[in-house]
Amino acid sequence: MFLIKKSEVLKLAEELSKTYAVYGPVVEKESNQTFFVRPDSIGDIDLDAPIPSQPPKHTVFPQIERIFHYSYDKGAKRAEIIADFKPEPKALFGLRSCDLNGVQCLDRFFIGQEFTDDVYLEHRKKTFIVTNTCVKPFKQCFCVCTDSGPSAREGYDLNMTDLGDEYLVEAGSDRGKALAEKMGLKKAGSGHLEAKKAVVDGSISRFESIATDNKAWISRVMNRITTGFIKGEIWEYIGNQCFECGACTFVCPSCSCFNIEDVNRKDSSTDRLRSWDSCSFEGYTRMAGDHNPRKPVEDRRNKRFFCKLSYSQSKKYLRPGCVGCGRCQWVCPGDIGLPNVVTYIRREITSR
Amino acid sequence: MNYKAGVCNFCGTGCGHILNVEGGAVNGVFALQGHPVSKGRLCVRGWHMHELLRDSQRIDSPMIKKNGRFEKAGYDEAISLVAKKLGEYKNPSSEIAFLASPRSSNEDGYLLMKLARSVFKTNNISLDSESGHRNSLNVLHRGTGMAGMLGSLEDIKKAEYILVIGTDLTRQNPIIGSEIHMAARAGSKVVTVGSKLTQIAKLSDVHLQLKPGSKKVFLAAVAKSLIEENLHDAEFIQKHTEGFDGFANSLGSLSHNDISSITGLGLEDIKTVARDLATAKTAMVFFTSGISGLDEDTVSYIYNLFVIAGKIGKEGCGVNPVTGICNLQGGYDMGLAPDLLTGFRPISDKSAAKSFSDAWGAGFPDEPGRGVYEMLADKSSGLKALVVVDHDESIVRQAEAIKKLDFVVYVGSFENPFAEYADVVIPSAAYVEYDGTYTSTDRRVQLSRKKTEPAEGVMPAWRIFTGIAEKASARWSYSSPADVMAEIAKLTPSYSGISYDRFSGVGGIQWPCDGRRPEGTRYFRVDDAASKIKLAGVTGSFKTMRPSGEYPWLLMVGKANHFWHQNNLMKRTFIPKREYNATLLLYPKGYVEISGDDAKKLQVRDRWPVNIVSQYGSMKVAVRVSDEVRSETAFVPYFIQDMITEFLLAHNELIIEQGEDAIIPIRIEKV
Amino acid sequence: MCEKGNCENTNRAVTIPEIATIDEIKDEIEDVKTFYLSFDDKKLDGSFRIKSGQFIMCTVFGAGEFAVSLPPSPENDRFHISVRKVGKVTDALHELTAGDKVGIRGPFGNGFPFDEIKGKNVVYVAGGIGLIPLRSSIVHVLQHREDFGRIILLYGARSPKDLMYEYMIEKWQKIDGFETFISIDNPVDGWKGEVGFVNQLIEKANVPAENTVAFVCGPPVMFNNVIRDLMARGLKDDSIISTLERHMKCGIGKCQHCAIGRTLVCTDGPVYTYRQIKTLGEQI
Repeated sequence: MFLIKKSEVLKLAEELSKTYAVYGPVVEKESNQTFFVRPDSIGDIDLDAPIPSQPPKHTVFPQIERIFHYSYDKGAKRAEIIADFKPEPKALFGLRSCDLNGVQCLDRFFIGQEFTDDVYLEHRKKTFIVTNTCVKPFKQCFCVCTDSGPSAREGYDLNMTDLGDEYLVEAGSDRGKALAEKMGLKKAGSGHLEAKKAVVDGSISRFESIATDNKAWISRVMNRITTGFIKGEIWEYIGNQCFECGACTFVCPSCSCFNIEDVNRKDSSTDRLRSWDSCSFEGYTRMAGDHNPRKPVEDRRNKRFFCKLSYSQSKKYLRPGCVGCGRCQWVCPGDIGLPNVVTYIRREITSR
Repeated sequence: MNYKAGVCNFCGTGCGHILNVEGGAVNGVFALQGHPVSKGRLCVRGWHMHELLRDSQRIDSPMIKKNGRFEKAGYDEAISLVAKKLGEYKNPSSEIAFLASPRSSNEDGYLLMKLARSVFKTNNISLDSESGHRNSLNVLHRGTGMAGMLGSLEDIKKAEYILVIGTDLTRQNPIIGSEIHMAARAGSKVVTVGSKLTQIAKLSDVHLQLKPGSKKVFLAAVAKSLIEENLHDAEFIQKHTEGFDGFANSLGSLSHNDISSITGLGLEDIKTVARDLATAKTAMVFFTSGISGLDEDTVSYIYNLFVIAGKIGKEGCGVNPVTGICNLQGGYDMGLAPDLLTGFRPISDKSAAKSFSDAWGAGFPDEPGRGVYEMLADKSSGLKALVVVDHDESIVRQAEAIKKLDFVVYVGSFENPFAEYADVVIPSAAYVEYDGTYTSTDRRVQLSRKKTEPAEGVMPAWRIFTGIAEKASARWSYSSPADVMAEIAKLTPSYSGISYDRFSGVGGIQWPCDGRRPEGTRYFRVDDAASKIKLAGVTGSFKTMRPSGEYPWLLMVGKANHFWHQNNLMKRTFIPKREYNATLLLYPKGYVEISGDDAKKLQVRDRWPVNIVSQYGSMKVAVRVSDEVRSETAFVPYFIQDMITEFLLAHNELIIEQGEDAIIPIRIEKV
Repeated sequence: MCEKGNCENTNRAVTIPEIATIDEIKDEIEDVKTFYLSFDDKKLDGSFRIKSGQFIMCTVFGAGEFAVSLPPSPENDRFHISVRKVGKVTDALHELTAGDKVGIRGPFGNGFPFDEIKGKNVVYVAGGIGLIPLRSSIVHVLQHREDFGRIILLYGARSPKDLMYEYMIEKWQKIDGFETFISIDNPVDGWKGEVGFVNQLIEKANVPAENTVAFVCGPPVMFNNVIRDLMARGLKDDSIISTLERHMKCGIGKCQHCAIGRTLVCTDGPVYTYRQIKTLGEQI
């Protein structure tokens, strides 16, 4: 455990930028919206900025990327596959705890299953993570319900907590510790840990009642979704409100569905592109030829919430797929973000 | 910072988005939370803007057709040729025409208009969507002086009562649909009126599923009921409007029996609408206003109903046509019509016309021109040369007429089958490659800033038009789109307060923006009208298409999910294209939606073929059994090329005449 | 390549295809062709091991990638795939000629049981091109004829010209103790086999209920009827085995296009017992 003066905290990011492409929360000036991006200069990183509007998953799983390219000369019958995919090592600086949980879900899903996704692994393997405790919740946050905040518990190299004039810096890995020592950070004592606890408790006490109130309900709803004991009408009610835009998937820190397209370029080579996809789309499960096993929109909604809130999916993530960031509630044109869905199911349970 | 705020360029909602620009390419898109309309939401199209902007099927060099084959050429050569050829026509008023694009920026549109009029001396300039939105603007302009939405999308939540007529807003303008849905959840009463059980219908408090083609009768019936029950806003009418008596009298011919038999609705339903509309403090009405909007008479009834209910001229109220293309509203604002100058002023307005010729230092014909489609259809029009800007493939429908022309120019960003018909093709930059303003459906002028560089040597349209003008010896000296906007502001009262340095932050400025309202105007106010608000003249005719013995079904023609504007843009994306193709996989030759009861009667099942026979033609399509249509009504989406050509073209006039409500009496036969 | 996709012996990434050559193309029934393939990297020919019931991801250069089941037996069989034209990518494959290259990733998926069913009666029930994914297991089981009880093939198609691998079935029929029952939906001149739907062959063949496993593959309606009749005969739901087809993009359990309820067809499947299928929680 170390301490760093508030005014000097970005020196950590400066140091990281010597080895890594540093990403952090930056407020875009025209829109006043926070993004988790590479800043033009490290000084643009704003650790007090609201939770980034987009989760940091694009740093390890971009919205669209080329995973390899190839060319085929039909006349000469010559095929060449060029796998030159080499993303640079990244440091994620000032990550919120919910978003770290999202990255961990992706890790366990992409790397921890039967197959290792080598594209994801390339992005992820050298990533250095510095988390930032949320001293207060933001609009629609409910990480207290999903056990993913407001302070990170594991999976970081360094975890920072704003104690007022200084940040408490906890090392979660050897290289995190090494960096802190290299920077010559002051050692922190047990009093600082207590101060941190007070900050976290204070943060928790400031969550809106809907979030704290729903705490027990998330697990009851998970139980219901896993066992399937939810009336069809509830899914139909939710499905009717789905605009099929895909936004919930795109802003979800743990959603990882993707699409693959081979795109022919003008120079007669072909790019294999991988891009975000969403199970809310009708064409998503459609097979060549015709048969679409999952047709009505309520089925597809059902699928997504199953993914976020079921024990069977939790086995893959080693936690619920929902990390309580609340972004799906912001972006949903149909007002069926996950907290509302939980409310509808809860309403059904209590009305029985 | 690689994320740059901008404006979504698909439909007329004008949502804010933010693009991820990396290495000179657009690699992602995200929703803009602070945008006053979209508030952090995008639809399926908007979420895939980057897929379109990455498309490599761009035109990368000017081309000139020589001996029937295209040869690459320099800009200078191509532009000189266009200037020279167009300058040679002796009767430009009949020989030259310009087809403008509702996707062009205001600046590009304005300069094309100026090019046509001041340089090549023709008023033959039009937008593709001649019928729909123009009908709405005509009615609103005559009545209030404001040729645009009377309310604002920002204020939807302030409306206690919301009427949605016809279109499925959740598909066509999803974020407007979302705002209405949110308003309903917050307590507004939402009523939809249409012949299909659409998603917006499912989300509303009441859906009145009337017989196809009877919207006008329904609206007249509500107005009649309002007056009969003395629920009209007499004080408002007396103080602020004129023409009430004439309108009230015209409703007399509508009998209660007719109302029920034509609409298929009960009188009580209609009375409830009238009562709810009257008692709500605020109310808005939304209707589609795109390529196939409502006919002018129906729009007049919508407008009159809201005027006599006292539901225009104040906050949370308004008659709100919804445009389907990003700058359709701006296109009319910029005078892209044979008879209009900017700000919807008619060319016949002598003092307005003079202000233009003075400012331009060049005159133009005082007689209105003709629309391009009208000229192409008229074999004796004398049309010889045509300039087309960035157009949907629908223009290919006019291929035969276009092939006969002497000289055709195409200016656009993407490869397009139409380009094959041109003699000169000039590539233009895509909208993220230069600055431009776009006016969305609620009169919101928004600046979209340059985010990426165009391919080497590719120019934005405003530079191309300037180049052509200068080759034709006009002295245009714009160094940026901001200069063009300065000129627009000078010549257009409703834009007079707008300039590029006024655009900061997000959300743009709603016109009229002038000395009186330098911050812009969110909604129409009673005292905005120069004189009293006029009720629209109506035909008083309630003839409707009725099924007959031989053709007992009414066929509706309309849009389908994910299909959007002939798919010219959507087919350049991955995900929206897949969604579109998903429908095609099941119904490769198109489909006709009929109810489950009717399918039973016909003894057909989903995807079985049937013949659709009308007085004018027939086609074979698959059946799609749907709970969205009622018995004895059927629906075909006009989204498949074969269907358009084979069947619907035979009904072209019927469809153009009727607009969105196009109804064809048919019979259906099992194959 | 190895059975698990992340190949220790090639050290190549599971998302990158290996290049293979189409050595020969055989026209099967209408819209179906068989492509005989060999890897350009000759080292792979020895290490490319498959299990019956697995599938590969096949790239048609310039068109895209699709999932396809593997019909060859794991032992002593030529590497090939049989593909029906159903969309953009498979259409492009059908345009190729011998000598053209394709990309191959895999094999993926769990595969059919083999050692576990030794000593049992084996019944194959296929409809139309549903025979393609079963071919691997049929050939493998016949290669080890002595390890199994009765071996029965019940095969139905719309008409004689819709029968897959007819020439092979004739060869197999010569194998001692291999019982085949073949039917077409409607009678045609010159047809000597059975007429009717394939489920009607179950009784005809006197399919044993005890110590029997059934492999079923075909279109949904046929599948449901066959399952119903097999169960009625006394087969247990865990001795009825099928292979599911789904829209797939990655083959390695990541893209999630093939998710059915809690399972991913590409990694948990594509082979499931009927007992599992019933509890997937979604329409198949």
